[in-house]
Amino acid sequence: MDEQTNVKVKILRYNPEKDKKPFWQPYEVKIEPDATILDILNEIRWKLDGTLAFRRSCRSAICGSCAMKVNGRNILACETPMHRFKGRGLKIEPLPGFRIIKDLVVDLDSFFEKMNRVRPYLLLDKPIPDKEFIQSPEEFEEIREVCICILCGACTSSCPSVWSNEEYLGPAALLKAYRFIFDSRDDAADERIDIVNDKNGIWRCHTIFNCMEACPKHIKITEYLSRLKVKAVENSI
Amino acid sequence: MKKNFKETSKTGALAWLLQRISAIFIFAVLIYHFFVYHCISQGKAPEWADVVAKMKSPWFNLLQFLFLLAALYHGLNGVWMVVEDYIHSRFWRIFIFSIIVLVGTSLLFVGTLTLFKVANINPGV
Repeated sequence: MDEQTNVKVKILRYNPEKDKKPFWQPYEVKIEPDATILDILNEIRWKLDGTLAFRRSCRSAICGSCAMKVNGRNILACETPMHRFKGRGLKIEPLPGFRIIKDLVVDLDSFFEKMNRVRPYLLLDKPIPDKEFIQSPEEFEEIREVCICILCGACTSSCPSVWSNEEYLGPAALLKAYRFIFDSRDDAADERIDIVNDKNGIWRCHTIFNCMEACPKHIKITEYLSRLKVKAVENSI
Repeated sequence: MKKNFKETSKTGALAWLLQRISAIFIFAVLIYHFFVYHCISQGKAPEWADVVAKMKSPWFNLLQFLFLLAALYHGLNGVWMVVEDYIHSRFWRIFIFSIIVLVGTSLLFVGTLTLFKVANINPGV
């Protein structure tokens, strides 16, 4: 077992029932040097302060529960080792752009409401085939990378356009729209483009690239949203 | 959720496309503009008379006019994009939009007037 080290952690705490505004609470944690941010949070909650609230579930970077902001970057706590922030103390905050429910837990209702607006499921005109839908490897390649989105919200939360306009669909919902518009099995591309081709849809994206930097799955979100813009222009002219 | 701000226009597809087209146009004409105004007389800076002589050509002036139009559209549309991002009050949006239109038409008028005036100057004077 590795020798344990002392880590200085500051966490933005907020309990709306008690606190007037969020405040930084310092902790000092003794932990293995290869620990993840989630290990540190668990250590704090289990041994130092049971009142700390945060979401986590799979600890395998697949459920998307533990997205949060550490030292200014949106990351997944479970897959990010603390040595990525070597030499600095850790400042852990909830995802920006969302209402804080408590500590690191944010209200994601608006995020999923926007996701639902693009109708994130296959819509068909043709009859359902007896067996599976046939899709060629080339057709699948169009959407392969986009399909691995885990809905953690790190991209939408990192987008300045989202911060300034809460009506804007945001990168995650637009990426989901892309996923179905470019899916060869789907029949509702025009309807979906109508939804995203809106002042508060794809046109609020100013290719800032924050979403791409924040995505823990390294999806080239900005690139896909640009393709969506071209598609929307083709459809409206 | 706050109210919808969809009243500005249905979509932004045309504005987005025109912003790209005007950007490419401005970039190309700007290089041409610098070449003509600064490298016109091989090896040395062009003199006032050279520039005036060049601006006698109606085709060159038409290009200058389109350059002016594209630059004004591109710049002011960019300002409007920022306003749409950050200003959510209907009153302030209409107010700022009016200023943008006023500034755009004034600069277009002054710019076009300059093109005509310079084109009519006697280069010898």
